[in-house]
Amino acid sequence: MSSPAVPLRPVRRWIQATQASHRERGATLSNVYVGVLFVAITAAVFERQLMAVFWPSDPSLSGPAGVAVAVICGALLLLALRQLGPITMSRPAAYFLLTAPVSRRRLLLPSLRLAAAGAALAGAATAFAILGHAGNRDDLTDSLIVAGALTGLLIFLAAALAQTARHGAGLLDRLASLALAIGLAELVAEASGWVPPALTIRPPAVSLLPLALVALLGFLHLVRSLARTRNDRILESAKTAGTLFDAAFGMEPSWVADMVERRYWANRRLRSTRLPARLPILTGQDLLLAGRRLPRLLWLAGGTTLPLLLTPAPRWLLAVVLLIATMVAARTSSATIRTDAGNPVMSRLLGLTSREALYQRLWVPAGLAAIWATTALALLQLTGHLPAGPWWALGPAIAPAAAAAAARHARTGFVRNDLLPLDTPMGTVSTGPLVNSLAGPDILLLALPALIALAQDHPLSWTTVVLQAAIAVFGCRAYVNATTAEDRTELTPR
Amino acid sequence: MDHPAVEVSGLHVSYGSTPVLVDVGLVVPAGAGVCVTGENGIGKSTLLRCVSSLQQPDAGEIRVFGGEPGDTPEFWRAVVTTVEPPTWYPGLTAREHAELVCRAHGHDLSAIDEALERFGLAGHADAIPPSLSSGQKQRLTLVLALIRPSSLLILDEPEQRLDPDGKAAVAAMLAEYLADGGSLLMASHDDAFAAASGAAVTTMDSL
Repeated sequence: MSSPAVPLRPVRRWIQATQASHRERGATLSNVYVGVLFVAITAAVFERQLMAVFWPSDPSLSGPAGVAVAVICGALLLLALRQLGPITMSRPAAYFLLTAPVSRRRLLLPSLRLAAAGAALAGAATAFAILGHAGNRDDLTDSLIVAGALTGLLIFLAAALAQTARHGAGLLDRLASLALAIGLAELVAEASGWVPPALTIRPPAVSLLPLALVALLGFLHLVRSLARTRNDRILESAKTAGTLFDAAFGMEPSWVADMVERRYWANRRLRSTRLPARLPILTGQDLLLAGRRLPRLLWLAGGTTLPLLLTPAPRWLLAVVLLIATMVAARTSSATIRTDAGNPVMSRLLGLTSREALYQRLWVPAGLAAIWATTALALLQLTGHLPAGPWWALGPAIAPAAAAAAARHARTGFVRNDLLPLDTPMGTVSTGPLVNSLAGPDILLLALPALIALAQDHPLSWTTVVLQAAIAVFGCRAYVNATTAEDRTELTPR
Repeated sequence: MDHPAVEVSGLHVSYGSTPVLVDVGLVVPAGAGVCVTGENGIGKSTLLRCVSSLQQPDAGEIRVFGGEPGDTPEFWRAVVTTVEPPTWYPGLTAREHAELVCRAHGHDLSAIDEALERFGLAGHADAIPPSLSSGQKQRLTLVLALIRPSSLLILDEPEQRLDPDGKAAVAAMLAEYLADGGSLLMASHDDAFAAASGAAVTTMDSL
């Protein structure tokens, strides 16, 4: 039994009219005005920074590095589109309209058009920025920007076809990750002294017509096959869009992190294994879970080379980024702390004291931080970017501070939107997200000796290393003892 | 043990201006089971939450084995509750959750497989709990509650979302728990389940 499809346009019009009737008069115009004003003010305030990103006064990127940056941006765009869908819809639309007898193609077309336009714009902006950094500006033509936009469109098509196709999506994601790694490797190789062969970016001699034709045919094929997109994939992307909207509206980035984490584990096939018997029980659990995050560990290992990219930047920036990256390495295994702090049911079931639990939970983050920072510092020294001294030893020395910072961040919980806002000349600033984002990094003050040593560019003495280790260990202990107790199980700080 | 497992007297709890529990009294003798029944919204879960120390009453006295309930490790080593649903550890399988709980209490690991088998979860031991159905999650929650040593179980509608076989298995395990000297306070809508688990049934109105 089949019934004729209900026209979608009147349904959408009714939804829009009903939504508009609940808004204040002129609210839409006001939103547009605020949006345009925000963009104009941001562009005016950050003019110098935007110029540095898109049109620097001294373009210094080599040809191969320009290609590498293009590959990195393309891979990131593809991965972002794959995470988003890219064909998606709002959660209410997924609930009410996906199951309604309306044309599936018409239902999905608006998101397809929007995502395609966004990808093309991103491609054009990226091409403009790369050519601004690497190109011979006399040779620049508009066709290169158009080529960037077409490439963005093709990347969108690849992501959208992977969403509608039955197989191959996983392979595409892995290829994008590989391209990202190769692009980063090229940049790191140049930063560590490798001289690439000369390559000048010139306008393509061939016409862009074939590229445009491929994009057009791909787009038409996508529109034709749009109605066959699997429901589960649309629902998944609707959930993603909803979570992103919630996270932006509620200024709560942890929702996105939770979604990514849930999705990662949902796609894994696990086999139960015995927890390491010789370690404290929670340390063993964290070690087991860290071992199961092989892709993240691989990225972490590759990430030890990334500080090399910052060697031309001011030393203080390199030092700050190194400390924050060490904390990020420690956060690889802080999900269990977040779980216990968010809902103490498992903590109660385990019956451990909060102090005992947190000490056990800190070992793996501290180990990861120590390994990461030691490797990163050793690479910086081996490539001649650090003066003499036992820089590698700063890795284990700052690890307790990084682990405590990771734990504090994991225990912070949701952003508090009830805190008093700050009135600034630029408008009102909500302090909740600010306080939340500083919870964790603030403990990195315990790594001040390392920060000063890295920023100064003087030879490092063992005295500084010992001083750093002592401050980090005592600071970490003080943090744990001050925020936990022997007579309670809950990990939520009080 | 001289003290009753649970002793509640003069308990008052209100949500805003709506009184939910008014002068409620209850005694669960040590080694015995009590099942509280009553319609939705009458305050069964609120009573269990207060006894579990997860909610502060407006007035009244609550004693668990003669002591005040609280968030101490000693309390949670003696008491297990399912009043609040657990948040599962990301990336840990159902069996590993059970092993974690057993290890934390120094308990024999050999009981894990048998417990999973009895609750019909042996085939799902390698699954991560969020991927289980709601009934399977409820079974796993009960496995974790029953697999570790405790003196008092506080269960909120443990038969919820279980099929008839699951209900029978849970009731049998609760009866064994009581026979081994444990105490039980639960809320339920199923008198037959309560009777099979060996708990004395009482209504909220009579408290």
